[in-house]
Amino acid sequence: MNTTSLRAKVLPSLLAGTSRNPLPGELIRPSNSSSDGALEILSLMGQALRFERPSTPDSFIIEPEIEDERRIVADALRRPLIRLLTAKNATEHPARALARTFDRLRLRPHPFDLPLIDAFVRSNAEKLGSTAQHWADRQKPEAETQSYFDPELLDESNWAQATLSRRVAYVEQRRRDDADAARALLESTWAQEEADARFRLLQALQTGLGTADQPFLNTLEKDRAPRVRALAARFLARLGAGGENPALRGCLERIKQGKSGLLRKRTALELELPANVKDQAASRWILQTFTDVSFTELASALKVTNQELIESAAKDEPLLLALALITTNDQRLDLLELLVAHLPNAWERIFESGLATLGTMTESERQRWEETIVHPYRKDLPTSYFLWDWLHRVTDAAAPRSVMSILLKMELLMKVPERERGGGPWLEVIAAICPAPQRDELREQLAEFDQSQTVIPLALLDILDGMEKDRTHV
Amino acid sequence: MSLTLERIEALAPDQASLGAARKLLKPSSWPTLAEGDGLVWGECQGSGATPYRVVVSEEDAGYKCTCPSRKFPCKHSLALMWMRAERSTAFAPATVPDWVKDWLSRRRGKSTPASKTEGEAEPKPRPSIRLTEIPEAGADADPKAEQRAAGARERNRKEREAAVLAGLDDLDLWLADQVQQGMANFVAQTAQACRTIAQRLVDAKAPGLAGRLDALPTRLFTLPGSARPSAAIRELGQVQLISQAYRRASELPELLAADARQAVGWTVTRDALLNDSEALRLDSRWRVFAVLSEAQPDKLRRVETWLWREGSADGKPRQAVLIDFVPISTGAAAGGYLVGDQIDAELSFYRSTIPLRAQISRLNRGAEQSGEPLTLPNERLSNSYANYELALAQLPWLGTIPLPFRSASVRRHGEQLYLHDDQDQLSLPLHTSQTSHALPLASVGRVDGIGLWNGYEFTLAWAETHLGRWLH
Repeated sequence: MNTTSLRAKVLPSLLAGTSRNPLPGELIRPSNSSSDGALEILSLMGQALRFERPSTPDSFIIEPEIEDERRIVADALRRPLIRLLTAKNATEHPARALARTFDRLRLRPHPFDLPLIDAFVRSNAEKLGSTAQHWADRQKPEAETQSYFDPELLDESNWAQATLSRRVAYVEQRRRDDADAARALLESTWAQEEADARFRLLQALQTGLGTADQPFLNTLEKDRAPRVRALAARFLARLGAGGENPALRGCLERIKQGKSGLLRKRTALELELPANVKDQAASRWILQTFTDVSFTELASALKVTNQELIESAAKDEPLLLALALITTNDQRLDLLELLVAHLPNAWERIFESGLATLGTMTESERQRWEETIVHPYRKDLPTSYFLWDWLHRVTDAAAPRSVMSILLKMELLMKVPERERGGGPWLEVIAAICPAPQRDELREQLAEFDQSQTVIPLALLDILDGMEKDRTHV
Repeated sequence: MSLTLERIEALAPDQASLGAARKLLKPSSWPTLAEGDGLVWGECQGSGATPYRVVVSEEDAGYKCTCPSRKFPCKHSLALMWMRAERSTAFAPATVPDWVKDWLSRRRGKSTPASKTEGEAEPKPRPSIRLTEIPEAGADADPKAEQRAAGARERNRKEREAAVLAGLDDLDLWLADQVQQGMANFVAQTAQACRTIAQRLVDAKAPGLAGRLDALPTRLFTLPGSARPSAAIRELGQVQLISQAYRRASELPELLAADARQAVGWTVTRDALLNDSEALRLDSRWRVFAVLSEAQPDKLRRVETWLWREGSADGKPRQAVLIDFVPISTGAAAGGYLVGDQIDAELSFYRSTIPLRAQISRLNRGAEQSGEPLTLPNERLSNSYANYELALAQLPWLGTIPLPFRSASVRRHGEQLYLHDDQDQLSLPLHTSQTSHALPLASVGRVDGIGLWNGYEFTLAWAETHLGRWLH
């Protein structure tokens, strides 16, 4: 008897039970007098099944070929990277610094490491190349996946296929060079864009916003996404083309105009907070109230120039904060520089407001913004971890060298009170923002700390150095 | 701050730990002793299958040992500190190995002595290194006592034999009940049914069979619903086969009879194996190609370290497995070795028709991480699978076995991954826990490697690809 006939004769009885479906009598061969032979059949059938080969599926999925021009990170860095990115007690700062470096150097993680650093890949997919994006999108429905085209250089022929962050950066760059051509690019693909992409691309229009953009903005008043409609209305209001900006009216209602000065009367502005806004909530209220107003719009409504607006608000800290937030939103770093002369603690005040993004600022603009709000502290940088943590989150960039120089010169890390220094987080955030040329100096300062606190920061510095060295050897 | 004897005394949990540490101060117990970057580390052969790996930070006396001891620091850590403090033993300067780096990146920081709480009882006497120098009273051999003990052992053995046979009778009845009611019914109530008979087999001193039946529900539930009834037939068929083989051991070849006894639950101690002059011994270079860890229902973690013998085939076993059992409560999830480690050692194999399980009988050199590829045989997956079938014919209750392969590919059907041999159309389903981890392999084309086949699923352990090495 072969396996097939054994299977056909015995399996139904064993599955249904021999009490219902007795075994075929001719097969029963008891091994001893006390056995009814059923157990011998059980072991025989069991063994026959063990010799059955696993079935091969009719077809297999053809895996998509992902073109990834980026170089895979050096083998020697893979294990340290995994160790760092899966360390249980690490903050998100090392991961941010690494993702930035992957993007800047056009490197990518090894494909085999993607499952091991899955959380990192999903959080930073856009910065890690097309293979990583494909990995991060693997569980999304096909309709929601993005393009995995990630060429080194973008131009008008391929920009629409790149990742969203690169497209936004490209449009912004084009706006600086040729605002009309950049808008034409947007118009050409607008109908196919998702709501999130439309909003982020429209933000890029802020750069070089002019009356030529008005017809396009008018078409967006009926956009399906409310936030796109609101942003378009804000731009139109800024151009003086839309209806009255309701947010502006709300702001003006809260700004009290007066005169000050003995010899020469000057306009003095004051922000009156609503009675139900407590002190600790004031900064957040200011952010919410002034977020949809542009600086020029406000100055023109108050019938003063931009500089006069800053001078008039000089004695009112809440209004200065409001203006600092508006200049940040408008990317008017020239005005922010004037403003921090009157608001030297702008960094802490903006942090209190809960500002979470610097919009479409480029990396160099974000670094300039950081420099602007940090420099008034001179050699007395704050020792609160939360301020540095927020600064790195919001800028997502290495600190400007001038800021890092102050930090290292004043030996900020040593000045942090022992109880606040805690474990690794302080050292991690500083290592994550440290520019490459200052890493050795930082290492020297880290040597003063307990070894257990510096494992992650030092590993991060080594990996960043390794990635840069690896790239320069190509 | 360097390590001093006073500091070691302060760290020692009790006097007994210091005494035990003293016995490990011989350099011969430590195939590896190295230092670098303010750390010292070493390997010490203990009672486990794999040597324990110990690392100590000289700066803050932080330590880590892979042994399952619940004493902190354990005797191995204390011994390493002691040797370092006395400077009597040479530590070779070396670069910090990966397992030490792993510990460094995960350690919580400087350990501070627990502060005394109010109302705490009087402190225990501080352990002292000086006291360990007092020689232990030599146990005078008493021939009569030894005779009595041997008699008691023989009596216990006979009692156990009788208990096991009675347990197997119970097992037969239970199996007959399952066959009468049918496997579809068994699968529906497998957890309760298996628990009951497993407890009876534990009482009957047949822990091997008990463990097999206790683990059966978990094994069935990892399979698709439609495959469970036939898997139940396979598993219960094997149990019946082991039971029959045990009863009729005298009719079987010696090695198969030994397999049956081990499957029922008779253990061979490490010492007994090492003293067995007829045990198969292989002195060679071995590579660790997989380290698997699994929590068992008996609150022990089974840690398997799978080794591949380097060099050419000579008809002797090419693979071995070192098995350690550690209490789950110690938190240890891995053995001492890492995948890729190269070990120069003599292994002693437990007697078996298909020798796999072994113990290190002599460690010629400490483990070293190696980047070299495995010296895999030039065999396709289907050839390896045919070898598995031959082994299965010799040992019908064969468990997990390594299958090396060349030129296979990882393919996907739905969410399930398969290791596929194009030439012979053989597809082994990959273990479901590897669905995500092995997915990148589906895009790399042909791979060479090795994995573990348990009759249901293939656990891919090591794969060489054009993108480099993939490890489990």
